[in-house]
Amino acid sequence: MTNDQDSFLRATMGAMDLVYNLSRRLVRSREEAEDLAQDTYLAAFRARTERRRPQRVEPWLATICLNLARSRYRSRSRRPREVALEEGAAVVGEEDPEGAALASLDRDALHLAMWSLPEEQRVAITLVDLAGLSTAEAARVMGTPRGTVLSRLHRGRRALAGLLGSAVQEVGR
Amino acid sequence: MRSWWVRLRRHDPERNAAEYVSGELPRRAIRWFETHLLDCEDCWREVLLGRLGRAAAEDAREPVPRGLRDRVRASVQMTGGAGGEER
Repeated sequence: MTNDQDSFLRATMGAMDLVYNLSRRLVRSREEAEDLAQDTYLAAFRARTERRRPQRVEPWLATICLNLARSRYRSRSRRPREVALEEGAAVVGEEDPEGAALASLDRDALHLAMWSLPEEQRVAITLVDLAGLSTAEAARVMGTPRGTVLSRLHRGRRALAGLLGSAVQEVGR
Repeated sequence: MRSWWVRLRRHDPERNAAEYVSGELPRRAIRWFETHLLDCEDCWREVLLGRLGRAAAEDAREPVPRGLRDRVRASVQMTGGAGGEER
């Protein structure tokens, strides 16, 4: 391995969780997500060796991943089946409604719920709530004003809360 | 006047809740907003929904599949160094 390859991998492998989880929300299958994550790293390595190096790798890799998905994977991805979400469902009468509801939802159900959101909301939530980017960083990655990201973020969270509220009601029955 | 103060006083429950739940309000703004929450049903509801949605989003995190890190390492090693040409 060359020094260049080694230093690149040292600097970026910590962001694999971000890149994979973002990929999972940009393409439908796990296999495609793994391919997208790998392609993101290859594109980043080429860009890094050719141009200047980024200060923070997470937003940089997220931008590359998003652009790759848009340019190469979008046509392959089909719009998923819509899942009805009860927006703003009331959550009352539980000591730990979040815990109870989350325990009742497996990861696949949450994944499906994420895919029921419009792409821009899904990406905003993934960048901020899953990847830990600030809303300003997410705005740069998505190429939109910060206020737009805040709006997408909140609407996406509210839609997911609707699903969670439904689950809490199911648990309470 | 600080920009966050102007934004909070405009009373935009969605935006205010999004910033609050994301932990992006400055300390003084948090104090003001938390006092406001006690009297404002709209903001209280939006914050509750925002927190629930954020918790759900965090729980949707998936572990990186076994082998993907090795696959990425191998593919980078197969790629040329300086200059970035794929060999």
